[in-house]
Amino acid sequence: MASLGELERAVMDRLWSADGAVSAAELRDGLADRGLALTTVHTVLTRLEQKGFVVHDDARPRRFRPRATREEHAAELMHEVLGSAGDRQAVLARFVGSVDADEARLLRELLAAPGPDADR
Amino acid sequence: MLPATAAALAVLAALLAWPVPVLLARARWPRRDPLVALVCWQAIGLAGGLSIIGALLVHGLAPWGHSLPEAWWHWITRHPAEAPVRGDHWVTQTLAAVLAAELLGVLLLSWLRTARTRRRHRDLLELVVQPAAVPDARLLDHPAPVAFCIPGAKPLLVLSSGMVAELDDGQLAAVVAHERAHLREHHHLLLLPFVAWEAALPVLPAAARAHAAVRALVEMRADDVALGSLTGAAPRRTLAQAIVVAAGGAGGAGVPDGALAVTGSALGARVTRLIDPPSPLPGWARVAALLSAGLLLLLPTALLLLPAL
Repeated sequence: MASLGELERAVMDRLWSADGAVSAAELRDGLADRGLALTTVHTVLTRLEQKGFVVHDDARPRRFRPRATREEHAAELMHEVLGSAGDRQAVLARFVGSVDADEARLLRELLAAPGPDADR
Repeated sequence: MLPATAAALAVLAALLAWPVPVLLARARWPRRDPLVALVCWQAIGLAGGLSIIGALLVHGLAPWGHSLPEAWWHWITRHPAEAPVRGDHWVTQTLAAVLAAELLGVLLLSWLRTARTRRRHRDLLELVVQPAAVPDARLLDHPAPVAFCIPGAKPLLVLSSGMVAELDDGQLAAVVAHERAHLREHHHLLLLPFVAWEAALPVLPAAARAHAAVRALVEMRADDVALGSLTGAAPRRTLAQAIVVAAGGAGGAGVPDGALAVTGSALGARVTRLIDPPSPLPGWARVAALLSAGLLLLLPTALLLLPAL
């Protein structure tokens, strides 16, 4: 049995690659190789809606579509990770922060000096 | 009455609010042993909070007894005061309560807000990332060279495709080892009080200074731990190269950047330290620093619990 997180990703992939909105039944058929029940698909869609990744229309049956493209999600995330606006503590360990051109040049000059490992 | 105890605690609080953090932030030895320095910072933060709240409390409750536990018990049980209660006793009692509530409240709020942001980041990440070639790491499709981790029960280590493209295998292993060190040693917990108290006490310049110093030390510590697990020929240079590549690329990709001066100078210190490593702190100095940290915590605790001088 695949994990919910993995199913969510599979459903999002389907929604992203579809043209326009998709019904739950169509999603189930699209994911037929997984042998999912319609209720499972609905559970996953509800979770995705709660997380704000999916919206549905009022047609019958309901049709679902992604709120933003995959690229937009990635960009939003990167903006928070890289920007100063977000909670810097939340993403603790960004490997290095951003630096300006002068600082970057200074760092490269530091690196050009003879290495510490060489003389061991 | 507890005048001497309150005065001693107030002096300790004043020392810990300004000169001690400034001296430690300026000192050269912490980069020789970031772990010991981190322990000292935690002791300063804890002892500082304890002594300022303690000083107010001891003065406010002085009419009720000869030691804080005794006075506290009498106050709680509505015992009549043994000495006349003046206005300043009520004022300091109130201040103690407000300060304690603010420090603890901000800590709690900061914890909750952080947990919520992390959960949202994790939700977003789980949808847009793919498994990376490195075990336990995820790959995020973005040109800027970025690596980061989200701490928590299920920690997440993320590399951007830009990072993977710009680094060779050895450098990438160094980055991953650095991030894993953060996760394994729970560095986010060491930072949390300093983040919270900087928010709680914006008037205290030492709070911002302490936060910056602890942040820099956590990075150095992660570098040290990473070096221990790297197998390449020149691990220090490899890690330094990875830092420089990531820094140069992130600045050039039109990425919004925050806190330039702080991260910038701290980054310089990190690279310098890798290329030209300072000699490790001698054993006696480590013991002395750790003993001082212990004494720093013991002093306000003893002043609070022992009968008045």
